[in-house]
Amino acid sequence: MQCRTDLGLCVAFPPSPVTRSGTQKAAFVGSSWPAKMAAPAGKLARGWSVLALNLRTAVPRLPGLTQVRWSRYSPEYRDPQTDKEYYRKPLAELTEEEKCEQELRKTQLIKAAPAAKTSSVFEDPVISKFINMMMKGGNKVLARSLMTQTLEAVKRKQFEKYHAASAEEQATIERNPYTIFHQALKNCEPVIGLVPILRGGHFYQVPVPLPARRRRFLAMKWMLTECREKKHRRTLMPEKLSHELLEAFHNQGPVIKKKHDMHKMAEANRALAHYRWW
Amino acid sequence: TMLNRVTRLVPRARQLDPGHFLHGGPQGPQGLAVHLDDQVPDETPRAGSRPSEDDPVKTFNEACLMVRRPALELLRYLDGTNFAHQAVRYVLYGEKGTGKTLSLCHVIHFCAKRDWLVVHVPDAHQWVKSCRGLLRSAYSRQRFDQPVEASSWLKSFKTANERFLSQIKIQETYMWNKRESTEKGRPLGEVVEQGLTRVKNATDAVGIVLKELKSQSCSGAFRLLVAVDGANALWGRTTLKREDKSLMAPEELALVHSLRKMVRNDWHGGAVVLALSQTGSLFTPRMACLPQELLGKEGFDALDPFVPILVSNYSPKEFESCVQYYLENSWLQHEKAHTEEGKKELLFLSDANPGQLERLCAYL
Repeated sequence: MQCRTDLGLCVAFPPSPVTRSGTQKAAFVGSSWPAKMAAPAGKLARGWSVLALNLRTAVPRLPGLTQVRWSRYSPEYRDPQTDKEYYRKPLAELTEEEKCEQELRKTQLIKAAPAAKTSSVFEDPVISKFINMMMKGGNKVLARSLMTQTLEAVKRKQFEKYHAASAEEQATIERNPYTIFHQALKNCEPVIGLVPILRGGHFYQVPVPLPARRRRFLAMKWMLTECREKKHRRTLMPEKLSHELLEAFHNQGPVIKKKHDMHKMAEANRALAHYRWW
Repeated sequence: TMLNRVTRLVPRARQLDPGHFLHGGPQGPQGLAVHLDDQVPDETPRAGSRPSEDDPVKTFNEACLMVRRPALELLRYLDGTNFAHQAVRYVLYGEKGTGKTLSLCHVIHFCAKRDWLVVHVPDAHQWVKSCRGLLRSAYSRQRFDQPVEASSWLKSFKTANERFLSQIKIQETYMWNKRESTEKGRPLGEVVEQGLTRVKNATDAVGIVLKELKSQSCSGAFRLLVAVDGANALWGRTTLKREDKSLMAPEELALVHSLRKMVRNDWHGGAVVLALSQTGSLFTPRMACLPQELLGKEGFDALDPFVPILVSNYSPKEFESCVQYYLENSWLQHEKAHTEEGKKELLFLSDANPGQLERLCAYL
């Protein structure tokens, strides 16, 4: 995902795969595609102006589009390396390029690591993303505790099933809450999505292949919406979430149904597929 | 307080007969499992502050305790008690989550196995806060009854000590009201029945039971163990209000009054084991764990000659055996938890605190 971090600015309308990979573009608002490309712009501790920006990068000024999503870091800042194994490798084992890179890191500017990113062995980026999506009002403590309670609830339910089952069934029952979580989200990801495209004054829902991160986002979003809105008011989030995750793991439940609905709509609208130009 | 869990970890689950580990002396945490077998299911304390779906008995399909140094020390003392002398009071104290309640459970199980009569109060804090249905006591106008708590305690006492209830005979006649009374010489079971059926008299029934047990333990027919968890509630403050909305002192509760009399050492023929607890206590600072801080001046003076037993965090060997038990039961499902790195991280995050380790391993 190098384009995200090293870019000056990013485009925010459905671009072709060529533009995704690294040319510097501006992030603009005014399109229907919610681009996830980060747009680091501006220099840390120095005021930046649009003129300076224009000088640094060739920004195409497109009419009707304004810039969004920038970061306080300028492009020369590198991402932090939180992997403990990287630093533990003895000097002899490093290849030439790794040695070179380590030397470089001593002098280069590095961004601050976010508070939620640790060098713990138990850390999982998918779980962190899910916690961020569950968070409301910046209350990360609550979101994280809900997630841990959900995982615990999933584990306990599976253990109960395990103890109640016979020996052959015990081999099939999965007790690891992390594998269940990952598999459930994978099962909920849609393969194809719909995008509104403007043609002749009307918006048509055009079936379009989704990039991997959009699919992951949709799976998590549907899961959370389902749990927050469609359940009884008095049930707690860990209870609802664990139930939904287990159902999705077995390819049942309302979230899987929503995925299938999306697929059916895409199939129904397949005549419009030629409206896509990328 | 982790009362509900009579289970704790230990690897190499071997059946251990009760006399075995005592001969070896308190060699510290030997990491042997004491399986609570079917003869003793009801005597193990079931009440507690944990929600029932967290019950490890259901999760693991077994109930295990880790044999640790404080419990072993206590058991050694209990074995060597001289029943002609006055009852010795042992106080388990320590930081939050170190295992005071489970050591108490271990001791209760040990004594129950040896046919002692166990008077167990799972959480004294429940008696001094959020009680509904307080009544003015008929026996003494200044004190208050708690019918709900008293009847639930009588129920658990009955299931725990069935066989003693028919053996012990009361030594006085008690008049409940104009029509009902229990004569001298009737078995103690009748007093308990009366308390369960007539809920208004439940607190008085509890008081009678405790009084009778105390006076008769000197005779030597049975050995009495008084086990109270959250003992600092008896001398603290309450959040219960009188009719005129002023706060009550614990002495005004009849249950607390009778329990305080029980815990005094003016009887012989048994022992008293108390466990302090800050978690459920009222108006105590969070970092308080020492007896002086939790009991206050009044409580400390009331308990004065007592044997303090410190319950601390896991030693490295105990921690290792704990993690091993979890791995054997496949409770730790995360693939990184099996590695050395994972174990070091667990040690760092939990600081060898048993409670914290359990909460960590619950979601890993």
